[in-house]
Amino acid sequence: MSRYTINRRHFLGASSLLLGGAALPSFAWGEGEPIKIGTLTPLTGSGGPYGPVMADTVKAVVDEINAAGGILGRKIEVVSEDDQTNPEAGVRAARKLIDVDAVSAIVGTWASSVTTAVAPLCWESKTFLATVSGADSITELPHQGYLARTQPNTTLQGRKFGEFAVAESAKRVFFVSPQTPFADSQFQNITKAIEAGGGETASLIYDDKKPSYRSEVDELLRFNPDAVIFGGYAPDTTVMLKELYRAGYQGKKIAFAYAVNEKLVDSVSAEIVEGCYTIAPSSDESSTAYQRLVELIGVDKPDPYTVQVYDQINLILMAMAAAGETTGTAIKDNIRKVSQAADGAKVDNARDGLKLIAEGKAVNYDGASGPCDFTDKGDISDSSFRYEQVRGGRLTLVKIA
Amino acid sequence: MLAYLIFALTIGGVYALLALSLNLIWGGIGLVNLGLVGFFALGAYASALLTGAGLPVLFGWGGAIVVGAVAGLVVTLATARLRDDYLAIVTLGLAEVIRLVALNERWLTNGSDGISGIQAPLKSALGNQGFNLFYLAMVSAVVLVVWLVLRRLDRSPYGRAMKAIREDQELVGFAGKNVLGFKVQAFAVSAAIAGLAGALYAHFQSYVSPDHFQPLITIYIFLAVAAGGVGRPAGGVLGAYVVVFFLELTRFLPDLVPSLAPAQFAACREILVGVALILVLRFRPQGLLPEQIVPAPKS
Repeated sequence: MSRYTINRRHFLGASSLLLGGAALPSFAWGEGEPIKIGTLTPLTGSGGPYGPVMADTVKAVVDEINAAGGILGRKIEVVSEDDQTNPEAGVRAARKLIDVDAVSAIVGTWASSVTTAVAPLCWESKTFLATVSGADSITELPHQGYLARTQPNTTLQGRKFGEFAVAESAKRVFFVSPQTPFADSQFQNITKAIEAGGGETASLIYDDKKPSYRSEVDELLRFNPDAVIFGGYAPDTTVMLKELYRAGYQGKKIAFAYAVNEKLVDSVSAEIVEGCYTIAPSSDESSTAYQRLVELIGVDKPDPYTVQVYDQINLILMAMAAAGETTGTAIKDNIRKVSQAADGAKVDNARDGLKLIAEGKAVNYDGASGPCDFTDKGDISDSSFRYEQVRGGRLTLVKIA
Repeated sequence: MLAYLIFALTIGGVYALLALSLNLIWGGIGLVNLGLVGFFALGAYASALLTGAGLPVLFGWGGAIVVGAVAGLVVTLATARLRDDYLAIVTLGLAEVIRLVALNERWLTNGSDGISGIQAPLKSALGNQGFNLFYLAMVSAVVLVVWLVLRRLDRSPYGRAMKAIREDQELVGFAGKNVLGFKVQAFAVSAAIAGLAGALYAHFQSYVSPDHFQPLITIYIFLAVAAGGVGRPAGGVLGAYVVVFFLELTRFLPDLVPSLAPAQFAACREILVGVALILVLRFRPQGLLPEQIVPAPKS
């Protein structure tokens, strides 16, 4: 033990370092404690490829705002935690963010299970949670408004498929899909959009392990559709496309971009998949916000989650400024005032937005992932989608809208 | 800060129960159960489903114990001829099977969405802070009771017979003991404790999903038992709390090394867990509280 005795000089040195360290931030920030915002992204585990860039993006936005003077005269501090793509570890990390750091908001939860596990802690402690998870059930939780997400849910995706079919002047639309968690809600929302356009729909759920879909295709053709929407994944959609071609189907084909992907297009003969449309949620690459983001983080093609987390942090910072307060409740009550104010000036970043808010003007943020307008439940009401078509055996961009 | 400490101690209690479960089977009778998290999951889902069907919480916990014990019985009987590495592989597979069933049997488990809104006993009456304190007290009491029972078992003739099986099961067989019987009983009790831990966890978090039950937890518990002392119940309990505090304390390291990026730091935390295990095995293989072999009383 005697080797570890502390003499007076060591003690003085160590304690002045400690005290100095503790005192430093309060000198540096001048007025008031810094506002704390937590990022809870997957830095390890299966979400590991996305989380680090997401956390860096939040940091980059906050650095920029701090350099421009912070919010309400206070600096912002980002605390990053790792959810390990695991709800058990995610809850422990969220507890630390909420109880020790007392963050006003947590941004960036990625896996739906982590978001569902962390959400109750947030609404109980009145902390705002912004997430990129997609499961429909998340916004059904009793979150009292303390949760918002920028990832389109299947309701919105279904509507987009329906609206696209209507725009392609399809009147009789048939939906074929294997049993998936979202097949039902997908079909309901397609039907809603088609019926609004004066058309008719029918659907068929098939077993995705079957080697052939002859009877399914017969049933499909009996409906005499002018467009078919595929709800499946690549392997079963391949078989289905082949059967339809053999049966002489001439109408339009629409599928998810993850099903009719480049691999599928390369693996079947060109005429089978020719003319097929694909749809996928997309960042709004033509927006000024997207171009700012690319410049800010120096990544050429940021993934959708990074793009969404960029919008989330911008919105949260502006909501605090608009409220004149920095609590989670203030963010909850004001986020829609800066995301979708009908008479607000369009802004694409928080720095410009904060200036306008300081002048007492209303703002309406249009982000890099889309217009970023939220429903009362916390879903986004609209998002950009990427439409492609197979032309001459290659996927060709039709539009992003 | 206080709320965070209360939370960490509660999670420590759940880990301690798992460590007691593992210590009974691994330290006691020498069977390596790499599927611990599977029994944890069974208990959590059993209680979530039973209370979800309208039964009181205590029935849920009782159900979790029964389901755990029955699963333990089935596993030992199905693997009666397997030992060492072979048993370890089978139990590892079992935990994955349980996770995949939870993921795919939507009608029962709600699939990847998991079961949310699990009843939190007395939460509406006690409020958030009160509930957290109450739950900490209750989990700690359960840990205390289970620890006392297992310590009693450890020092009884039954415990000596178990440890004899661990050292040389043929010899114990020759001495007239029913080796399979001991194994089945020990495995069932161990699995029941893991099931109870799962039920306590489910009602604390109000949410379970297949993602909760990744093999990572089993590894943490092996670390806890190895660090605390294999073969001694108190060692497992101490080790579990040490592991939870180690995992939580490392979160505060970036304040000391601000130059590390969050992703680098997250990786460092995982490395630290591995390094800690290596250091324990190298410098204190017997654990913080080494096993005590109490000589049998002279008759």
